[in-house]
Amino acid sequence: MNHGDSGRIQYDVFEVFVQKTQADPHVHMGSVVAPSPDMALHTARENFLRRESGVNIWVVPRREVTATPYDDPDYFAREMDRKYREVSGYSENGRLWKMYREKAMHLDDIVRDLEEKPLRDR
Amino acid sequence: MTEEERQARFMERLERGEKIEATDWMPDEYRRLLLKLIHMHGVSEIMGAFPEKEWVPRAPTLKRKLAMMAKVQDEMGHGQLLLRVAEDIAAPLGKTREDLVTDLIDGRVKFHNVFHMEAPTWADAGVIGWLVDGAAIINQAALLETSYGPYARVLKRICAEESFHMQHGENIILALTGGTDEQRRMLQDAVNRWWESLLFFFGPVEVTEAARKMIQYKIRTKTNEELRQQFFNKYVPRIRSLGLTIPDPDLRYDEKEKRWRFTPPDWKRFSEIVRFNRGPKSRDRIRLRRFAHEEQRWVRKAMVRSGAAQSVV
Repeated sequence: MNHGDSGRIQYDVFEVFVQKTQADPHVHMGSVVAPSPDMALHTARENFLRRESGVNIWVVPRREVTATPYDDPDYFAREMDRKYREVSGYSENGRLWKMYREKAMHLDDIVRDLEEKPLRDR
Repeated sequence: MTEEERQARFMERLERGEKIEATDWMPDEYRRLLLKLIHMHGVSEIMGAFPEKEWVPRAPTLKRKLAMMAKVQDEMGHGQLLLRVAEDIAAPLGKTREDLVTDLIDGRVKFHNVFHMEAPTWADAGVIGWLVDGAAIINQAALLETSYGPYARVLKRICAEESFHMQHGENIILALTGGTDEQRRMLQDAVNRWWESLLFFFGPVEVTEAARKMIQYKIRTKTNEELRQQFFNKYVPRIRSLGLTIPDPDLRYDEKEKRWRFTPPDWKRFSEIVRFNRGPKSRDRIRLRRFAHEEQRWVRKAMVRSGAAQSVV
């Protein structure tokens, strides 16, 4: 074994994204260092999926990531009221529906009703 | 912007509870304190695997053996996550991953006192999971609020996995307390062996200059003594509930002061153990770590070459 050549070994940094199920997006988990993309995948699985399950891993060389700066709060500025884009901007519906003896309807109610088994299967 | 203005703006960010990221400007002092803390944390995770791996071939059942191996993998994994965070902090100082690793085997970075000690019986393996990991969780949970974002994120994962170690350790000691007289004696001996190390683990009572600075920078929020008191609160009643004796006749809760009084550990002996790697197992374990690092260098090199070859194809 050659010990004389103690040249520094520099691995690349890979950012790791894991998809838990195919109904989920890939989520950033952290990063690993590895000599190749293949080894980065292997190390990522060992580091981030020892317990949790997943269906897919992406590794991306860090130098390929383009990101916004953290120190420019203006980039994410919300100077206008965006209530008109949000469910919470329409809370008066509940009060208005009451006049017609009805209740406000929400997405959660629709999803729950759809998940309930049809009557004939009960 | 002058240096003073930058520093002032940085402190304002901390005051607002903002997290600092690797690419942000930070005072040199902040960077060095962070590196010192996270480097030591990272190498301690790696050295923490050594007393445990000694018990993998000797674990009493297959289930225990599998769980010990899982713990060893976790500790190594935590070491990797933490060194990843540390090397990003170290890069502007001209230090690399390789430096962080060789600092350990050349004795330039300390690791926690508990990992310098012997684990001669199976009860020690249990006590390490129960009390050493228990103490470590208190330390790490207190750091979840840290001002450095990348550290906060890996700590979340580490704490979740450490809580498995805690349950595993408790399961071992609960099996021993429900066992024979000999097993209970073995457990008591292990508690006696570890008690002083556990008290030292939290560090000196006085708030050192470095600790004061870390609190000022919100790298940490609690003092050593606050964490040690938390450990007493949580563990003294549990240890006693098992019929075990804590080897400190002067340990008592001072109702008036609302704090535990205890016989201090031998500060001098333990600080020499961590500073000069003079514990009963320090040299053996570092030798093994050096062997792993040096004898596998050719593998790392070969992988770099094959990785480069792949990219050409």
